[in-house]
Amino acid sequence: MKKQKQHIEYTNWQVSSLVILRVLIGWHFLYEGVVKVFNPNWSAESFLNVSQGPFADMFKSMASNPETLNVINFCNQWGLVLIGLSLIVGLLSRWASIGGMALLLMYYICNPPFIGLIPASAEGSYLLVNKNLIELFSLFVLYLFPTGKIIGLERFFSTEK
Amino acid sequence: MEERKSNKISRRDTLKALATIPVLGCFAYAYNANSSKVKIKEEQNYLKKLKINKLEATDEKLFPPTGNSGNRIRFGLVGNGWRGEQLLKSLGYIHPDYVKDSTTADGKPDKGFQKFLDQEDLNVEFAGVCDTFDVHTRRGVEISANDVHPGGRKYNIKPAKVFSSYRDMIKSDDIDAIIIATADHTHAQIAIAAAKAGKPVYLEKPMTHSIEEAKELRNVIKSTGIVFQLGHENRQQMSFKIAKELYRKGAFGDVNMVQVYTNRNTIFGAWIRDEAFDHKLGNKDNINWKEFIANTPDCEFDFQKYFSWQRYSEYGTGITGNDLTHQYDSMNQILGLGIPETVIATGGQYYYKTHGDMPDVFNAVFNYPEKGLTLTYDGTLKNETYRPSRILGSEGTIDVDRALLMYKDRHSKRYQDLKIDPSDPLYYYDPQNDLDAVTSASTKIYLKGGYGPTFIDGKVVDTTLLHLKEWVDAIRGKGKTSCGIDEGFEESVTYNLANLAYDHKKMVTWDKVNEKAIIG
Repeated sequence: MKKQKQHIEYTNWQVSSLVILRVLIGWHFLYEGVVKVFNPNWSAESFLNVSQGPFADMFKSMASNPETLNVINFCNQWGLVLIGLSLIVGLLSRWASIGGMALLLMYYICNPPFIGLIPASAEGSYLLVNKNLIELFSLFVLYLFPTGKIIGLERFFSTEK
Repeated sequence: MEERKSNKISRRDTLKALATIPVLGCFAYAYNANSSKVKIKEEQNYLKKLKINKLEATDEKLFPPTGNSGNRIRFGLVGNGWRGEQLLKSLGYIHPDYVKDSTTADGKPDKGFQKFLDQEDLNVEFAGVCDTFDVHTRRGVEISANDVHPGGRKYNIKPAKVFSSYRDMIKSDDIDAIIIATADHTHAQIAIAAAKAGKPVYLEKPMTHSIEEAKELRNVIKSTGIVFQLGHENRQQMSFKIAKELYRKGAFGDVNMVQVYTNRNTIFGAWIRDEAFDHKLGNKDNINWKEFIANTPDCEFDFQKYFSWQRYSEYGTGITGNDLTHQYDSMNQILGLGIPETVIATGGQYYYKTHGDMPDVFNAVFNYPEKGLTLTYDGTLKNETYRPSRILGSEGTIDVDRALLMYKDRHSKRYQDLKIDPSDPLYYYDPQNDLDAVTSASTKIYLKGGYGPTFIDGKVVDTTLLHLKEWVDAIRGKGKTSCGIDEGFEESVTYNLANLAYDHKKMVTWDKVNEKAIIG
């Protein structure tokens, strides 16, 4: 059976809201990445060390190994920057959505708002659902409803208009 | 409408493709504007809260290195034990075993070793070593011969000369300066001899074993004028410098009580070290027992007395000389306490009864009527809860260690218009500003450990290295030492008064005119 490539027809309102969501999440990622890149003292170590939940040991051991930590710091800060840029300009934005979901999944499981755990951060009240999870699924929506070919640099490479 | 199947890109396409690019421009503008404003605002914000115009401590710049291969200072180390080797590391010297243990499987230095390679090279030459334990003497020579130094530099110098006694070392023309890291009872004797021989001295804390020794050492240092530094590297800790400035500018109000603590709960922590490090290799043949006991009453070789000397009052200075001195000197640095007028002390040896006479539970109160405050010391060797030093002022309460936390007093007049819950810190300084969110868990991580690294001039630097650097720079004519003989005299008299109070079970008064302790 030949797989049909789904062609989505958006209204102007729909495109605009999806693009704005894409740009907002992109800005968020870009800013998080840029402040880390420009801060010579930044390290994921403090975040990893306060890890709780089922994967706490794994994250803590990552923090204690200096080589692993260097790799994590590099990938995290530049990952954030590249994903942010990609989402804003609309180039390889579906890949960026996947990448962003992966990073957010890491942040989520490093400090999950599970039943019985005391949160490491003092901002807001969360139970199972927190902002990382919401942003993760927002990116999933953006992946399923891509707009890069409509408003974004991908439009230059697209055959369908 | 005709469907566009050509490759030509229309203007409409271009506009839609580039529609979000201006967002990047907005981002760049907003980012730049924000980063400069936020920094200023943050600083203004807490300074405004504290009612202070400017904080100068954090502007301090590091002296550039004063050493080069032309003015290398040749130092001799007397006492190459645990502390001795730590000092050597800051001076740029490590043992070949350390190099081996700190190199990863693919030949790269690990984090700690890399820090050593990145540290400032003080350009000093390890020219002489003297220790009463042959194994440690040999280690000293091996360290001096290991040509691995900061920056990966090679010095191409000969190994350190072994001196069987410090008396020969201080007379030697091949030695320019003396570093003393021996047991406490020989501190004064060696430092006095070195000063009389005209050599600058870096003396590990605590300064002396008695008040009489402190007076004699002070007189000799003053009359010879040699460059003297007492090993209280807390003087280099930025948090204490900030606290001192805040205090001077009135942020604390009237300081009326200072609380300092010792909390340990291990055999090693209680200074029982027979089995520690390489001590098992010691015996009466490779230890110069006569040289070790020096001017104390003669007695037979005793393995425990040699390796756990801190616990014996003939050699050590008790829990006060060993641990209180750290906290006392930090508080002296911040508040300018000086020597108390009266001291009471009590406690006992209830738990570790196999080695010496050191108490394991100890309380002392130091009264400063002229300053309107008391300093209290609680020390226990059977509990390791974390208690930072605490300054109680009429306007606020300050917990200070490597970090600084200040809480507004509920009835503070100075901060009465600040709407802050008294359980939230009014001011918080942490040595590394790399946290995205200040959480209570990570606050505790930073607050621990008043020693070790500090943050100065935009860099993280080890305080022992800074303290040695200060001494070395002063020898080369640049700057002066921050823990000199006056500070040392105050330190030594203070803990010796506490020891006298404990030994005699009586209140002790300091007669500052005649400079003696009056017991009872």
